[in-house]
Amino acid sequence: MCGIAGLMLRNSGAIGKKLVGMLDGLQHRGPDSTGFALYRQPAADRMVMRILLKCSAETHEGKSRASKVLQILRGFGVEVLSDSYTQEHYRLEIAPVPAVKDLSYAVENQAGVEILSFGSALEIIKDVGSSLDISKRYGIEAFTGTHCIGHVRLATESIVDASRAHPFWAYGFSDVAIVHNGQITNYWKMKRRLQKTGYQFRTDNDSELIAVYLADKLDRGFSLEEVLARSVDELDGTFSFLVSTADGFGFAKDHLAAKPMVVLEKDDMVAIASEEVALNRLFPGESLDTYEPFPGAYKTWQLSTLAMSA
Amino acid sequence: MATIDAGDVGISEVNLKIRELAEKGENEIVLYNPDARHLISVGVIGKSKIKIKGSAGYFCGGLSDGPTVEIQNNAGWGVADNIMSGTVIVGKNAGAIPGVGMRGGKLVVKGNLGSRAGAMMKDGVIIGGGKANFMAGFMMMGGRLIVCGDCEGGVGQNMISGTIYVGGEIQSLGADAKFEEMEEGELEDIYQLLDEFDLPHPESFRKIVPEGKQLHYAKYERKLSPAKISVPEGPMWDKRLVEDIAVKADLGRYRVRSFGSARHIPTFDDIAFKITPEMVLSQKNPRARCRLDTVLGNKFASNPLRLKMPILIAPMSYGALSKPCKVALAKASSIAGIAINNGEGGMLPEERAAAKQMIYQCLSGRYGFSPHDMLRADAIEIYISQGAKPGLGGQLMGSKVTPEIAYLRGLPQGIDIRSPSRHPDVLGADDLIIKIQEFREVTAGRVPISLKIGAGRVNNDIKIALKDTVDFIEIDGMEGGTGASSSVVTDNVGIPSLAAIVQAMSGLDEIGCGGQLQVVQMGGIRDGVDAAKAIALGAHAVAVGTATLVAMGCTGCMTCHTGNCPRGIATQNPELVSKLEVDCAAARVASFLDSMGTEMAAIALACGVPSVHGLCRDHLVALSPQAAEITGLPLAREGDMLA
Ligand SMILES: Cc1cc2nc3c(=O)[nH]c(=O)nc-3n(C[C@H](O)[C@H](O)[C@H](O)COP(=O)(O)O)c2cc1C
Repeated sequence: MCGIAGLMLRNSGAIGKKLVGMLDGLQHRGPDSTGFALYRQPAADRMVMRILLKCSAETHEGKSRASKVLQILRGFGVEVLSDSYTQEHYRLEIAPVPAVKDLSYAVENQAGVEILSFGSALEIIKDVGSSLDISKRYGIEAFTGTHCIGHVRLATESIVDASRAHPFWAYGFSDVAIVHNGQITNYWKMKRRLQKTGYQFRTDNDSELIAVYLADKLDRGFSLEEVLARSVDELDGTFSFLVSTADGFGFAKDHLAAKPMVVLEKDDMVAIASEEVALNRLFPGESLDTYEPFPGAYKTWQLSTLAMSA
Repeated sequence: MATIDAGDVGISEVNLKIRELAEKGENEIVLYNPDARHLISVGVIGKSKIKIKGSAGYFCGGLSDGPTVEIQNNAGWGVADNIMSGTVIVGKNAGAIPGVGMRGGKLVVKGNLGSRAGAMMKDGVIIGGGKANFMAGFMMMGGRLIVCGDCEGGVGQNMISGTIYVGGEIQSLGADAKFEEMEEGELEDIYQLLDEFDLPHPESFRKIVPEGKQLHYAKYERKLSPAKISVPEGPMWDKRLVEDIAVKADLGRYRVRSFGSARHIPTFDDIAFKITPEMVLSQKNPRARCRLDTVLGNKFASNPLRLKMPILIAPMSYGALSKPCKVALAKASSIAGIAINNGEGGMLPEERAAAKQMIYQCLSGRYGFSPHDMLRADAIEIYISQGAKPGLGGQLMGSKVTPEIAYLRGLPQGIDIRSPSRHPDVLGADDLIIKIQEFREVTAGRVPISLKIGAGRVNNDIKIALKDTVDFIEIDGMEGGTGASSSVVTDNVGIPSLAAIVQAMSGLDEIGCGGQLQVVQMGGIRDGVDAAKAIALGAHAVAVGTATLVAMGCTGCMTCHTGNCPRGIATQNPELVSKLEVDCAAARVASFLDSMGTEMAAIALACGVPSVHGLCRDHLVALSPQAAEITGLPLAREGDMLA
């Protein structure tokens, strides 16, 4: 029960500021929490891991969790380039590693923390509060990059906290994130299936399931577009979701068309949001040439071409 | 011509200006910088022309009567919702449910129509110049829907009445819709309409109408002779069950029945006040010494309900109940100084006239829903579900759908009405916020907006209600009465009031919002003691349904749904209706309500509090381990009684 928004620019730009505005325009759809998945040009020489310590880094417990994280990383032979924190959020820059999933599970399970995102292009920042609020707290507006997705949440079943805020990182799969509006009704069935194949879940939120489901499919070698095509048939319920990777992004919409979504495509950008009001935040005063995708529709865009691939 | 720059002003301010100009008779109002914001130009009465220079968000031009609204670019969900007359023109595309619940007028979308165009429309015309998304004409109840381009699947799904014309390809027809040959002159009519809005003529049109198979139950229950049932009463088998199976064998479907719960569930009888009987009896003239007055819905509304005691008359529809019964209930509410809720099926003018305070219900089918009646209401309630049939819409069997009731509801006469199970424009808590804001815009924030929910996952639902900015919430336990429901659901789905009110309080407490949302508890409130118990558990007020009917003479024969009520209460048969004498019935109900007030006052005083709102959990004990488990109240033990 929420609002979602996404934006891809042909040339790197002020995506942080733009997404903050779009989500502010959607805040009525979800007052509980707000989150941002922001993408830079992928770096060849470093990856960023963002961690939720689940208590402030200023406290004794927070400090010990952060040092535990460093210890585990060293154990894996990972070179830590820098680290910093804001309240519960711990950010590390490390030299690139291949085994993203194994490393992530080790960090989470041993340090009692939660990884919000991990990748060479992606950073996820999410917390309880409004778009403007979180932007101020974490300096989102200053972020420049190529594409982003974001979310405002109105919790209906699970608890309101930073872990259950969106976007969800496609756990163990670097640089993949999703935001979702709706409700997955075959949640338990799909979750059990994925758990059997070794995936761990951190929340009871059905959107996390979509992230893991997509990651699993990508891991099996399907293209983003193939994954989305399958998702509209395999996921049951009402949904509109956005997924983003290091160099692409796309949407999928259920067969019932019960959740709103509006798309704006221009030569040098694509913007998607639950409501047109968010798109107008990018172009105040303009009449936009938007469309609402049909039920069961999905579509992807690649950064390199910013041309439609579906 | 007047202009408004919506750029930096709030939408309420924009709407106030539009309405002010419309009232003054300004014939052209131009709005700049709309930026796809929601609720532009809702609730406008009058013939003005409003030009929106850009895109509009949700419900643009909705709940209006008369104006011409021109949206230069796109419109969001629910454009022109529930308009009574006038014209709304969208220059490009419209989002989902365009023209939802329209009762007249014209909606013209030059581009594509979003999914479920014309859902629950009763009258008027919708024209789409381009394609139509999924399920065009979903549950349409009248009027015409004209689509010039192609249609996605499910055209005319569950349509009840009205006509759909499609100029392009049709992917598939929906359930209970069929093709029909065009009659002479029909095509010319369509072309004339298209010309009026400069739309090109498709070469031909196909016409879709309801097939009508789902408008009536295939079979009805026949009366069984009780003599044939000889099973003894026991824990496994009893007469009712034997009858149930016999009827199901006959019908091949669930039974429909009425009245309150017919099985044992924990009730307010399973808890008690920690006071000795003498303390209640010794209270002299309790009404004079105990405060019962209650303000309901003052969280956001400027004009909340002001009740002489914390009781409401529960929503019960005109249709399920007869006109004299509705009017008697309204009169009784006025005598008692409380409020009545109109229930499904539109505002009955006679009932409105007799009631000093009336809550006006908005249900999924939008039968008879109108902006004029919203402005006549003292509160507006969005019905999500009710205790007796959570997850199902209202039912009204054909025998009760008289010409007058059919007219009020905008439906064909004599059909077995099964209302939609959900609102066409509220598919989640996020849409609900916008609907609530729309109602606030139309009524300029004067009256309270409430939600009614059947008790299920109350703990979650109350948190959603709080975030959705309602003024109060009505929670209906599974034992709540009904005019007609599937007995499977009535007896087996949901949780009792006792559990519901406890969950409501704990849900609010969990998020640190205890006391921030007033709760009205209903379902199984039969006297002032039940009411006092609900209030002690945290309710701000209660509502009574079945008990008021019993007070006016209902014998509990459980046949409301058949329309053969022998007392003229739950029937539309003129002969039976004439048996109910309005003033006498009103006096009996008022007197019953008065007794409830006295009981509440006596209990409160006996507990040592000077106001019924001073009652709290500390005054209660549980009488069974089960009730203790549900409520968290201590079990009654020696020494528990207050001295
Ligand atoms: C004849 C009848 C008609 C009803 N119609 C409606 C209705 O239109 N809308 C609604 O919200 N509830 C309706 N209800 C349910 C009542 O509002 C209420 O939830 C219920 O009666 C409360 O339980 P009680 O009967 O034990 O007091 C109806 C109930 C009865 C008995």
